[in-house]
Amino acid sequence: MERETLDVDILVVGAGPAGLSAALRLTQLQAAQGGAPLSIAVVDKAREPGAHSLSGALLDPSTLADLVPDFMAKGAPLACPVTNDNVYVLGPQKKFRLPITPPPFANHGNYVISLSHFVKWLAGQVEAAGVDLFMGFAGQSVLYEGTRVVGIRTSDRGVGKHGTSRGAVEPGADIRAKVTIFADGVRGHLTKDLLRTLQMGGSQPAQFAIGLKELWDVPADRLAPGTVIHTLGYPLRQEEFGGSWIYALPGGRLSIGLVVGLDYKDPLLDPHTAFQRFKLHPFVAGLLDGGQLVRFGAKALPEGGWNTQPALAADGALITGDAANFVNSMRLKGIHLAMRSGMLAADTACAAVRAGDTSVTQLGAYKAAVDASAIKRELYPVRNVHQAFGAGIVIGAAFAGLAMATGGRWPEDLQGHAGHTRMKTLSDYYGLEERDRLVGSNAVTPDRVLTFDKATSVHYAGVHHEENQPPHLLVQTDVCHSVCGPEFGHPCVKFCPANVYEMVDNGAGGRRLQLNASNCVHCKTCDIMDPYGVITWVAPEGGEGPHYDGM
Amino acid sequence: MKIAVCIKQVPTRGWQPRLNDDRSWVRDADISYEMNEPDAYALEEALRLKEKHGGEVVVVSAGPARVQQVIREALARGADRAIHAQDDALGRADAAAAAATVAEAVRNEQFDVVLTGLQSDDQGHAQFGPVLAERLGMPHSTIIMEVQVVDGALRVKRELEGGWFQYLAMPLPALLTIQSGINQLRYATLKGIMAAKKKELRVVTPSAPVASRQRVLSLSLPLKAKQTVMITGAPADAARELVRRLREEARVL
Amino acid sequence: MMLVVAEQKAGRLNRASWEAIAAAQQLSAGSVPVSVAVLGSDVAAVAAELSAADVSGVWIVSHPQLASYTPDAFVAALAELVTALAPTHVCLPHTYQTRDFAPVLAARLDRVLITDVTGLSRRDGVPVFTRPMFQGKLVAEVVAEGPAPHFVSFQIGAFRADSATRGSGAPVTARPASLQGATLRQTAEAPFQESKAAVDLSQAERIVAVGRGIKAQEHLALAQQLAAAFNAELAASRPICDNGWLPMERQIGSSGQTVAPKLYVAVGISGAIQHLVGMKGARTIVAINKDAEAPIFEVADYGIAGDLFEIAPALIAELGKA
Repeated sequence: MERETLDVDILVVGAGPAGLSAALRLTQLQAAQGGAPLSIAVVDKAREPGAHSLSGALLDPSTLADLVPDFMAKGAPLACPVTNDNVYVLGPQKKFRLPITPPPFANHGNYVISLSHFVKWLAGQVEAAGVDLFMGFAGQSVLYEGTRVVGIRTSDRGVGKHGTSRGAVEPGADIRAKVTIFADGVRGHLTKDLLRTLQMGGSQPAQFAIGLKELWDVPADRLAPGTVIHTLGYPLRQEEFGGSWIYALPGGRLSIGLVVGLDYKDPLLDPHTAFQRFKLHPFVAGLLDGGQLVRFGAKALPEGGWNTQPALAADGALITGDAANFVNSMRLKGIHLAMRSGMLAADTACAAVRAGDTSVTQLGAYKAAVDASAIKRELYPVRNVHQAFGAGIVIGAAFAGLAMATGGRWPEDLQGHAGHTRMKTLSDYYGLEERDRLVGSNAVTPDRVLTFDKATSVHYAGVHHEENQPPHLLVQTDVCHSVCGPEFGHPCVKFCPANVYEMVDNGAGGRRLQLNASNCVHCKTCDIMDPYGVITWVAPEGGEGPHYDGM
Repeated sequence: MKIAVCIKQVPTRGWQPRLNDDRSWVRDADISYEMNEPDAYALEEALRLKEKHGGEVVVVSAGPARVQQVIREALARGADRAIHAQDDALGRADAAAAAATVAEAVRNEQFDVVLTGLQSDDQGHAQFGPVLAERLGMPHSTIIMEVQVVDGALRVKRELEGGWFQYLAMPLPALLTIQSGINQLRYATLKGIMAAKKKELRVVTPSAPVASRQRVLSLSLPLKAKQTVMITGAPADAARELVRRLREEARVL
Repeated sequence: MMLVVAEQKAGRLNRASWEAIAAAQQLSAGSVPVSVAVLGSDVAAVAAELSAADVSGVWIVSHPQLASYTPDAFVAALAELVTALAPTHVCLPHTYQTRDFAPVLAARLDRVLITDVTGLSRRDGVPVFTRPMFQGKLVAEVVAEGPAPHFVSFQIGAFRADSATRGSGAPVTARPASLQGATLRQTAEAPFQESKAAVDLSQAERIVAVGRGIKAQEHLALAQQLAAAFNAELAASRPICDNGWLPMERQIGSSGQTVAPKLYVAVGISGAIQHLVGMKGARTIVAINKDAEAPIFEVADYGIAGDLFEIAPALIAELGKA
C-alpha cells in the first residue's frame, strides 16, 4: 500500500488545549483577515478528543474569555465555579487546616472542570469552524529537511508484534506543512525528538511530577459542588515534592488526586501506592465513604516552570503548551497558559505563512509574544519555586512565600536538575545492611473498596491497545538485566502506575524485564524517571490508549 | 450495486454503566460512543462489495443528533453518502421500532443489498435486520460469514451453532446481518476523513412517533446472588465433594 | 393458550426446546394450557419425544418445504399456525435459528418479540421479562406491549430443561402447513462442519483456565490433564499467554475472549477484574486458589482455598472414577 501524503499550511500536532486553541485562533484570524484560505490540519493519537486528557482540574477562564468570549453561550462545560478553597496539612491520621489560604491556592473566579469534557467541547468548536481534526493518528517521527521541520510522519497501522503484519499494513502518512505547531503535551514524544535533533533544550533541564487521579461518585450531599481542597504532607515525606487535590463536581462526583514530584530520592517509592495510602487517611476515606470508583488515570505534568522552557521555535516549527513546559506549578495551573501559548503560536504561524517566511527568525515573533504576554507575567516571578523544593518541602515553601512577597526578584536563578538524577541507589538510600530485607517501603494491600491494585486501576482507565503490535516502550534491557537490580532495585516496576514493567523469572535462575505494553496509560513517567535514561516512549498504534471520559 | 449499511452508535465497550435516578435508563451524560462492532464489519463488507461490483454504499443510521459521529466515521472509511433518521426517542427505542423508522426513511431508495450487524452491543435484541427485511419486503439471512454475488443473486455462508455452517442462496434485493470477523476492517485515511465532510448527509425526521413495544420497567446491575460454597477438607475429600456437587447440584457433569 | 415452538434438525430434537417448554410452563403457571409445535417434514419421533411433556398437545407442522430450514418457509408456516391458534404467547428457545426467523415472524404479524430472556416474574398481574443489556453489564426488566400474541425467546441455559414438568402423554396432532401464496425466496444447501484451525472458546461448554498459580510452564501438563478429566477446553488468564506458555487464542479476559460456558474452573487465577469480565457470565464457576481472599472467590459458585498442586490431582482421580 502506498504512503499517503497531505500538504497543509499549518499542522497542529496534538488536540489538547494548546493545539485546539491554536487551531481555533487560526480560523478566527482567517475570518478576520480574509485572503487565501489557510489549510489547517490537527492530528492526535487519541481515538476522540479528550480521551487522553487528564487534569484535576481548575480552569482560570481568562484565556478562554479571550479565545471564545461567549463561551458560556456556546455551552462550554465549566462544571461549576469554585465556591471555597481549603488547604490542609495532613499527618498520618490527622489534618490541620491552614487558617489562611495561601494566595496561589486561592481560586476565586476559577472553575472546576473536567479537562476531558472541556477538550471535547473545544474540539467541537474547532470542527464547527471547518478544521480537519484527524483523531487516532499517532505521530511516529518529525520530518526534517536539514534544520527545517517540514511536517510529521504518522505511525504505520496494522503491524504485528514481531514486525509481521496483521492483515494489511497501512504505512503512516506524511503530513507536510509550512509551519508545524507542536502541542503534543507533557514530555511529548515528537517534541522530545525535535529538541534533541535540533538541540533546542532550554537553559535548565525540564522537571516533572506524576499526577494520579480518580473520579468517584459519592452521596450528593457529601461536599458542595465547587469545594476545592488541597493537601500537603502525608503520604509524602518532607523530602518529597507533591500534594493532593479533592475537587467537588456537581451530582456527587469527586475528583481526587495525588501529585508526586518525579525527583524523589527513594528508588522504591511507588506513586500509585502513595495514592492508595492517601485514600486511607481518615479525612479522605470519610469523603469517599459509600462511594464508587468511576475512573482512574495518571499523567505526568511539567513542574520546572519558566526556566525550563525550550527554545520555542525552529525553521518551520513552534512549541506550545505542556510540551513547552508552560505550567505554573505554584498555582497548579497550566490549561490557561497552554491555551494562551497556542493562540500566540497561531498568530505567529499565520503571519509567517502569509509573509512567505517560516524561518526561525520570522517565527521568533512567537517567543517575543510569549515574553510580552500573561504567560511570562505569571511564570517569571515564580520561576525558581520548584527548583527551591529541591531542598525539601519546608525550604521550598518558604521560598515560595518569598517569591510571592518579592514578585520573584532574586539575584541569581536557582539551578534545577533533571529529576531522575536525584534518585539515590539502594545502598545510598537504605544502607548496605538493609538492602537484603527490602520490601516495598510503602506497600498497601488493596481492600478493593477504597484501594485497588494497579491491574484494577488500569481497567478503570479504560485502556485499550491491540495486543498484537510491537511494544511501544524501547528499553535497553541489558541495563535492566545487569546493574539496575543491584543499584536501584528496578524502580520502573514502582513508578509505572499501570504495571507495564515487570521483572519475571527468566527460567535460568535470574529475572528478565517483561513489558505489559498494552496496560500503558501514556503518562510518560517511565520516559522521564528511569535513572539510567534508557527508556524511550513512542506512540503505540493510533486510536488506542486510555479512555479518560470525564477526567 | 446500491448497497445500504445500517449502523448503530453504541456506548464504547469499556463503558461502565451508571443508572439514572429512576433506574429507567442509563445516565446519558457521561457516555462515550462508538460504532457498533458488527456494523463496522458490515460496513467493510459493503465497501468490498462495491469495490468488486461497482455502485454506491449508503450508510443509514437511526438515532439522536449524536449518531452523526458514526455516520461520519463510515463516510470517512469510504461510504458514499448517508441517511440519518433523526429523533431523540430513537436513543432508547427497541430494535423493531428503529427498523420501522429506517424502513420509512429508505423507502424510495431501492437498495439491492442491505447489510447490518447481527446485533447491537447495547440492547442486543438481534432483531433490527430481520424486521427491516420484512418491512422492506426483502428476503434475508443472518449471522453471515461470507457474501458472494452470483448472477444477480446472493450466495451467503451462514454460521450455525457448534462449528456448523450452511450456504444459502436468494435473489436480490436482499438483507443480510453480518457476523464480526467476516473480514479485516480498514482504517479511515486522512483523505477519507477530509472527504467525509463533503459527502451528502440527508436528515430525515420520522413521520410517525417512534413506538417501542418493549417497555423497560427498570435497569439494574446484575445481582451477585451467588453464595460461594467453600469446600474444605483434605484434597481428596474436597475433590470428592466438589465433583458430587457439580454432578448433583449444578448438574454440569 | 401458550405455544412453544420446538426446534429439531435432521430428526433430532434440540434440547433447548425443553428449556422453552419449562419457561412457558413457568410463564403460564397453570393459568392457560401450553402446547408445542414442531416444524419439519419427518418429525414423528421428535413429536413423540415432546409428548412426554406436561402440555395440552403437540402439533406436527409439516410440509415438504419445511424439510430443511429456511426462514421464509418457517415464517409462513408459523404465521398460519399462530393466526389460527391465537395464543397469548409464543415461546421459543433463543437459538441461531430462532434469531433468524422469529423477528420476521413477529413483524409479519405486527407483534412484539422480546428476545434473550433470562427470567420471568409478574408485576400487577402482567408478565415481566428479564433480559441482559449492554453486553450483560446490566439487567433489564421489560414488559411487552401491544396486542397478543407476544413472542418471547429464552436464552439458552437460562431455564433448566429438566425443570419442564412431564405429563402422562400429550396428544400429537398433524397440522400440515399450507404455505399457500407464500414466496419462498431462500434456497438452502446442506449444513456442513468446518474443522476450525483456531480454537473457539466461546463455543466450549466447559473450560478449565489456569493463571499465575501454575507457576511454571512444566506444570501446564497438570492443567491439561485436569481439562481432559473435565472434558473441557484449556484456557488461561493473560499472564500465562503473555509468557507464551499458551497461545493468545486461549486467553480469557478483556484483552482476550469473553466466554459463558456451563462450567468454568479457574485454577490458580486471582480474579483480576480484566479476567473476570471475560468469564463471569459462566453458569457455574469453580475457583481453586491458595489465597482465600482472592477476588475470584467473589464470583465463584464453588471454591476450594488450597494448593492446586494437591487439589488438581485429587480432582483428576475423582473424575476418573465412574
